[in-house]
Amino acid sequence: MNGNAGVTELSQIDLRSLATGHKRTWDAFVTAASPLINAVVRRTLATYRSSEDDVMDAAQDVFLRLCANNFRLLQTYDPARAGLSTWLAVVARSAAVDFARRRRQATSPIDEVPESALAVEDRHVEKLKIPHGLLTERQTLILKCLYDEERDVSEIAQLLKIDAQTVRSTHHKALLRLREHFKEEAP
Amino acid sequence: MSTERIPLDDKALWRRLATSPVAPAAVSDMDFAAWLEGRLPETAAARIEAAVATDPALRQAALELADILGKPLPVAPPRMAVRAQALVGFPAERQVRKSWLASLLPDFGQGFALQRGALAACAVFVAAVGFMLGGGLSERYEDAVYASRQSSTDAARPLGRDTTGELNDLFTDAT
Repeated sequence: MNGNAGVTELSQIDLRSLATGHKRTWDAFVTAASPLINAVVRRTLATYRSSEDDVMDAAQDVFLRLCANNFRLLQTYDPARAGLSTWLAVVARSAAVDFARRRRQATSPIDEVPESALAVEDRHVEKLKIPHGLLTERQTLILKCLYDEERDVSEIAQLLKIDAQTVRSTHHKALLRLREHFKEEAP
Repeated sequence: MSTERIPLDDKALWRRLATSPVAPAAVSDMDFAAWLEGRLPETAAARIEAAVATDPALRQAALELADILGKPLPVAPPRMAVRAQALVGFPAERQVRKSWLASLLPDFGQGFALQRGALAACAVFVAAVGFMLGGGLSERYEDAVYASRQSSTDAARPLGRDTTGELNDLFTDAT
């Protein structure tokens, strides 16, 4: 998924040897996985009041989760379905979120919170329900990322592994469909 | 279908709309990773996309992970790797860690607590035997204490009387 040194090394890890608890393989795995786990944990804990020690402890939690019960979690990884780095990133994020929830309440700097999340909803204005099936799952996701999360087209393209132009056209088609359904013409 | 006026602005339009409330589906780590890599077939991907669209936490996770995996990673603190490597030891090290006394006892396998209990029982037994054998030693110790008390009592006697006695002894020896 990316070309940095740490993740390239991860692909060379002998997973069978790792799952049997071979010390040298574990050490090599830790060396290769540390940059990724460090980045994921740091990013996840950025929204919490976390110290450097918290980052270290959360990263240790990730590694502990991987080797606990005779490497049971590592044995659930299926190389045919996803790259080790992507799977590890998902596992690390999940462990870091659990760690942060155990420690303290989440807080976000107000500048990083999307405007939509801060806005006080006018409960007097009843929202129009989008009928089920009017938009595809992808169209809904793109609209949510653009308007609820306030993300750039490039970020959404990176997430969905499509080019930015496809994101724009999907967004355009989704709005056309919505306007058509609710009988309003676009300007 | 509504006859209300629809906002002209795309963003304002979206804010006026609400998606159908659907309970977020559970997504396994493996499925989520496969979706992030774009490896899922269309139907399976649509299921994950519906879950990501419904659940804001999952959406944030997806956006953050896609960003991290698409960039060069910073170097991790060396302490992080050292601590994690210590979680798994060499098999030989694990055996050497057994004390010589524990190695004399039968191996209880997973019954670590049982082994520790047996060790503690041995220690109590050794202490009890030592206490019983120590009876003779304690008598000698009492004698030694008594003797030292006696000598200290002698030392406390008046100096003149002692000196007179010693001089008498000296003259008696000389004659």
